[in-house]
Amino acid sequence: MKRCLFILLILLAAIQTAGANDKDPNELLLAKWDAVIEDPNDPNELLQAKWDAVTKVLQSEDLDQNVKEKIIDKIISPIFDFSLMGKLALGRTHWPKLTQPQREKFTLLFAKRLKDSYREKISLYTDEKALLKPAIQNKKGVFIPMQLLSVDRKIDILYKLRKVDKCWKVYDVEIQGVSIVLTYRSQFNDILRKGTVEDILSKLEKLPTP
Amino acid sequence: MTLRRSERVFKSNGMKLFWAIVILGVLTAGCAAPEKTLSSNDIISTESLANDDFDLLEEELTTELIEISDPLEPLNRVMYHVNDGLYFWVLKPVTEVYTNITPKPAKTGIRNFFGNLTTPVRFVSCHLQGKTTVADVELNRFLINTTAGILGFGDPAKDQHGLEPPAKEDLGQTLATYGLGDGFYIVWPLLGPSTLRDSAGKLGGVFLNPIYYVEPAEIAIGISTTGFINENSFHIGEYENLKSDAIDSYITIREVYIQYRRKQIKE
Repeated sequence: MKRCLFILLILLAAIQTAGANDKDPNELLLAKWDAVIEDPNDPNELLQAKWDAVTKVLQSEDLDQNVKEKIIDKIISPIFDFSLMGKLALGRTHWPKLTQPQREKFTLLFAKRLKDSYREKISLYTDEKALLKPAIQNKKGVFIPMQLLSVDRKIDILYKLRKVDKCWKVYDVEIQGVSIVLTYRSQFNDILRKGTVEDILSKLEKLPTP
Repeated sequence: MTLRRSERVFKSNGMKLFWAIVILGVLTAGCAAPEKTLSSNDIISTESLANDDFDLLEEELTTELIEISDPLEPLNRVMYHVNDGLYFWVLKPVTEVYTNITPKPAKTGIRNFFGNLTTPVRFVSCHLQGKTTVADVELNRFLINTTAGILGFGDPAKDQHGLEPPAKEDLGQTLATYGLGDGFYIVWPLLGPSTLRDSAGKLGGVFLNPIYYVEPAEIAIGISTTGFINENSFHIGEYENLKSDAIDSYITIREVYIQYRRKQIKE
């Protein structure tokens, strides 16, 4: 009896793993490219590892564009606090006015938007040398400046991070002093001066994927 | 979790059945884990943040928020669309042809030449802001590059003397350090986004640009245009990139201009 059960269990396990492998062949690939972080408490190391992982994916020639996008999404998603970015982009005045379904829809659309544009931006900078500078402590988290250097140009980036459940998460990025969250906020404010939250949602929905 | 529990049981019993459970646990954990991380990327909680944190971060962001008055918005929007059209229909195609016929070293050389030529306005702005050390760097760079760099086409000041070009100062920034506000936002035909203060600065800068004194005017315009196209060839794609991110590109460009200027002024 026990022997039968044993065989049955092994069989079950085998079927399950086989099924899982069939389902998503990209999984192994994804795992291979993700960043290895030795000390997740050090935000500098976290960003450096993620940056290296993403540029490695972008530079690899044997990957399909589609697969690249998937892998990059997987690498960066854990370090971005997309829902907080969305809240901050709408701000204290507008966020409370949204109904729960509107909040959910907004957060999903905005997160997709940010991921798409992050990917597009970073693909312009793969030839640059990334230089991370020591973190600046402040009230709620840290700011980490990064410089992208090439022969022709120098681009200043500032990552703003805070700790959520013991993990560092980015809630805003400044490129050449231009904050992503604030740039979206001014656009949302402008839409809400004349229109409604639904206008924002439909505009976010209609935006073409870069 | 499953794994740890089954391990404990295994130690106490040591039966084959539990071997199987352990194996099963390992195998299922192996294929279940990635699935979990995948879905957690998609499901985003909207209540991940306590409200006092939100307040604090909001406060931090609003200190950086810059209100810009835009009384000319309807007119500015028209001008923005004119410039946008000019960019895609004239400037971009011309720049692309220029890039195709001009080798990279020549482009860099021309860029250096114009950079060197516009030293006076930066030098004067540095002095007006009391940045004498930066002014000295500008002057030394000018002297070295004009002579050893052959009229500024080379940059031996950087390559051999380690004098990196400092952050560019202009008269608009100088006026800002004197406490003059932005005034309001203006979009100029061809020249693009500006503010009242920065426009005044630009106008002053014209007189500090040696090209202004070139006669006849047609040649001066020709030289300036070359400089403009050449510089633009280093930035093709940047505007498209900003625009593709935008929900409202007019507002985006205005915001980017204002925030970028604020950074330059702070430096």
